[in-house]
Amino acid sequence: MSSTSSSHTAPTTALPSRQPLSRRLRERIRSFSLHPRIRRWTRKRHGIDPDPLTLPGRRIYILPTGLGVTYGFMLFAMFLGAMNYGNNLALGLAFLLGALGLTAMHHSHRNLAGVRIHSAGCEPVFAGQIARFRVAIENPSPLPRYELTVGNDVGMAQPERIEPNGRTMLEVKLPANKRGLLALPYFELATRHPFGLFRAWSVLHPELHCVVYPRPSAPGKPPPLLETDTGGAQDLSRGDEDFAGLRSFHPGDSPSRIAWKAYARDQSLQVKLYAGTEVTSHVFDWDMLAGLGVEARLSQLCRWIEDAHAAGHAFGLKLPGTHIPTNVGASHRQRCLTALALFQSDERPAES
Amino acid sequence: MSGLPRVEAVSPLGRKLSWVIAGLALAVVPHVPHLSLWILVLLGAAVAARIVTELKGWALPPKWLRILIAFGALFGVLATYRTLNGVEAGTALLVVMAGMKLLETRSVRDLTVIVFLAYFALFSGFLYNQELLLLPYMLATAWLLTATLMRVHQTTLAMPIRETASLTGKMMVQALPLAVLLFVLFPRLPGHFWSVPARSQATTGLDDELSPGDVSELSVSGAIAFRAKFAGELPPPRERYWRGPVLHDFDGRTWRRPLPFYIPQVVRPVGETYRYRITLEPHQRSWIFGLDVVTEWPTTAMRTSDLQLVTRRGAISTLTSFDLESATHYAVEAPLPTAMRNAALRLPQGRNPRAIELAQSLRASAASDEAFIEAVLTMFREQEFYYTLEPPRLERDSVDDFLFNTRRGFCEHFASAFTALARAAGIPARVVTGYHGGELNPMGGYLIVRQSDAHAWSEVWIDGKGWRRVDPTAAVAPERIEGGIDAALSADEPVPGRLIRNSRLLSSIRLAWDAANTFWNNQVIEFSESQQRWLANKIGLDVLGWRELGVAMAIALGAFFVILTGYLGWRFRPRVRDPVRQVYEELCRKFAKASLPRYPHEGPIDYLNRLATANPKNARDLSEARDIYVGLRYGPSPNPSNLSRLKYIVNRLEA
Repeated sequence: MSSTSSSHTAPTTALPSRQPLSRRLRERIRSFSLHPRIRRWTRKRHGIDPDPLTLPGRRIYILPTGLGVTYGFMLFAMFLGAMNYGNNLALGLAFLLGALGLTAMHHSHRNLAGVRIHSAGCEPVFAGQIARFRVAIENPSPLPRYELTVGNDVGMAQPERIEPNGRTMLEVKLPANKRGLLALPYFELATRHPFGLFRAWSVLHPELHCVVYPRPSAPGKPPPLLETDTGGAQDLSRGDEDFAGLRSFHPGDSPSRIAWKAYARDQSLQVKLYAGTEVTSHVFDWDMLAGLGVEARLSQLCRWIEDAHAAGHAFGLKLPGTHIPTNVGASHRQRCLTALALFQSDERPAES
Repeated sequence: MSGLPRVEAVSPLGRKLSWVIAGLALAVVPHVPHLSLWILVLLGAAVAARIVTELKGWALPPKWLRILIAFGALFGVLATYRTLNGVEAGTALLVVMAGMKLLETRSVRDLTVIVFLAYFALFSGFLYNQELLLLPYMLATAWLLTATLMRVHQTTLAMPIRETASLTGKMMVQALPLAVLLFVLFPRLPGHFWSVPARSQATTGLDDELSPGDVSELSVSGAIAFRAKFAGELPPPRERYWRGPVLHDFDGRTWRRPLPFYIPQVVRPVGETYRYRITLEPHQRSWIFGLDVVTEWPTTAMRTSDLQLVTRRGAISTLTSFDLESATHYAVEAPLPTAMRNAALRLPQGRNPRAIELAQSLRASAASDEAFIEAVLTMFREQEFYYTLEPPRLERDSVDDFLFNTRRGFCEHFASAFTALARAAGIPARVVTGYHGGELNPMGGYLIVRQSDAHAWSEVWIDGKGWRRVDPTAAVAPERIEGGIDAALSADEPVPGRLIRNSRLLSSIRLAWDAANTFWNNQVIEFSESQQRWLANKIGLDVLGWRELGVAMAIALGAFFVILTGYLGWRFRPRVRDPVRQVYEELCRKFAKASLPRYPHEGPIDYLNRLATANPKNARDLSEARDIYVGLRYGPSPNPSNLSRLKYIVNRLEA
């Protein structure tokens, strides 16, 4: 399947004309199945799919592939030859292979029908990256499912086999071009099992979103001056000068602050707390960037947040109508970046 | 495949390639006898080259070289077969193409194309050979090719060989009923869409000329010429003359050519007529070996002026059947047309002078033509003439040499000598070649006629009576006519199949096998409209046209879809294997009916507590069920015997 899947990774709209005719033709046939009009129609017909969804048979489409059409022509040639020579065994072979093709069609269909599809979310990405929506496919049947794959016109994932009562995780890719909440409008669950003569697929419309952070602007503009706080360990904005004790680990804490020695000693994750005279922190304020456009401001804020997080500095964020107090850690970074991503957009992050 | 050294050194494509090569090889094997050697060598070289490039990781041959080889091979086929049309050239081309394609296999698509070509090779194998014996091999090859097709399209490598084989085997079994139904129901067209080029391959069988030694050569072949199944009684063994080419031109040694012109013959059968179905093995000629004179024949055949039956559709290149009616004796009331009389009297100038002299003296002393014939036969019978499979070589004047020197001969020697003598005596005479006899297969109730039954006899024209069959062999070796060739030849002569015929067990095995073959030939290979009609009558249909067949096929297709969908759905149905969950779901169902369904977010404790509150009279049972379920499900050491208690509680609960 290497030849076909590689062709799918290229966007269908920008096909180089030097590709062989057969390849272009196949792209045509494929893109036909994904024609926006048809897609809108299927979406209207099916609505948003529940999660998890047990795929019903009537949701599955099936068409012969290029090889399937070739197979059909071969059978027709055999049929004509057998009839012409009045050769019953040759005719029998042609009928056997024809019936085999129809059987393969049923198997292809059955290979998809009845699988359970769970959407498993998507890690946030920066604008310009590719969002990877994870989809869990579960096989509740006592027989294995072969060569299942998911994808869209961006590309199909490497097909996977799912054992009886097993499940597998597949990824649907979608380029994230602008910040905000990226919805996965649809994806296909497809198979070419057993002989590659037929492609069975189902178009699914999940309620799946990905948070797309603004694209960080180029490094260069220095961050606003550090605010030095000589206070102790009373608030969450701590520096890293003096060791002040341990507290239990919470998700989102920086791995560099985990007390590994303590972990080795009594097997519980602890985080080192510091208190010091120089607790450095930034407050990244929307108003500091007067003179830039909205997106440019968000990109710059994003860059600062990334730099500060990488350096382990504490930071806070001020946006019109939003104020996130100074803090550190992965979850704080995520909160700030999400605020940037969703700034002045109507969408709200999906509940997770 | 086992020859590959290290498995990890072989790429996924390489592993698929070994399957494809194996499948292709199996599909080509039946073609080996009739493919030119160079084509087989070319294919072998392509396979070897492809395996080496795969193992060594070399690049495939460059495009210009492949094109060069491909054109060379194309011209080679053209030069060898003089055409690209027809089964032989087509098969050769197919094999060459598969070999060429092998040299450029880079992708799954290329491999698939080779599998398709191999399917086609398998298909064309049936055009050569439709024997029952070959069927298991062909089916196994089809299976392997299908398994190969599946493996080629596997991107996940984990599928074990056994699983591939069993999955494709199951699919073939599922496909088989539909294939059989389509085979039975598809309307059979008479005739061809386009002309079928005759096969150039030589086959053993009668020729259209007869020289001394020709028939005895045939007699060593046990190959089957045709089979005949009679509707009523069989003709007695002595009357089983099967007419082939009738020969007129004699050059002193060789008899040639039937009459080159057509004069319709009116024939009156004398005595009983027989109805039968004759099934001819392909012999690449248009002759139909009817029992002596055919009185009724289908429109696809015609009767020549020599009363020989031939097809109107060219050579018989596949097993073919005809329904005929024949008489073993016949009379022609019209006088013999002059052209025919002349053709039946002509003798070469200056050849066989002693024979001519003998004939003239015998005719002078005989009262009539019939008395002359009797005199010649008496001569054969009473003088020292011997019937043998290995007669000495004859000189240029073969009749003289035979009559006066060697006196040892096979049927063609006697027929040739007799016809020459009759002509010399002024009696119109001709040589008839064909078969005589046939082995009755009691299991199928039909006659098997083999090449070893080939025979030659004479026909002479008696004015007022017409053509009369005279078999001089019967005079010298009456056993040949009564009991077949075994009986006529002495025990030390090498007769094919004599050993088998002498052993009762071997003989019955052979006959059983032939009966199976005949059933196969008549019911499968020769399956046609008449069988369809017979089947339709069996199920009570008396009309059978395209419409009925079309409707039946549509029903078959629909039934196939419904049954296969149902079967696969049943096989794939999810099965709940967890008994604890089953009981819990039963409980949930009960209360869902009482409009107290479990909310999706509700765990068992919350839910059962809620139920207990809503159902005070069942509160005790519900809380016990809760404790048992939670214990079984989440407890540190679930007690399996609690399951039956849980089942009991759930059963007696009334929502």
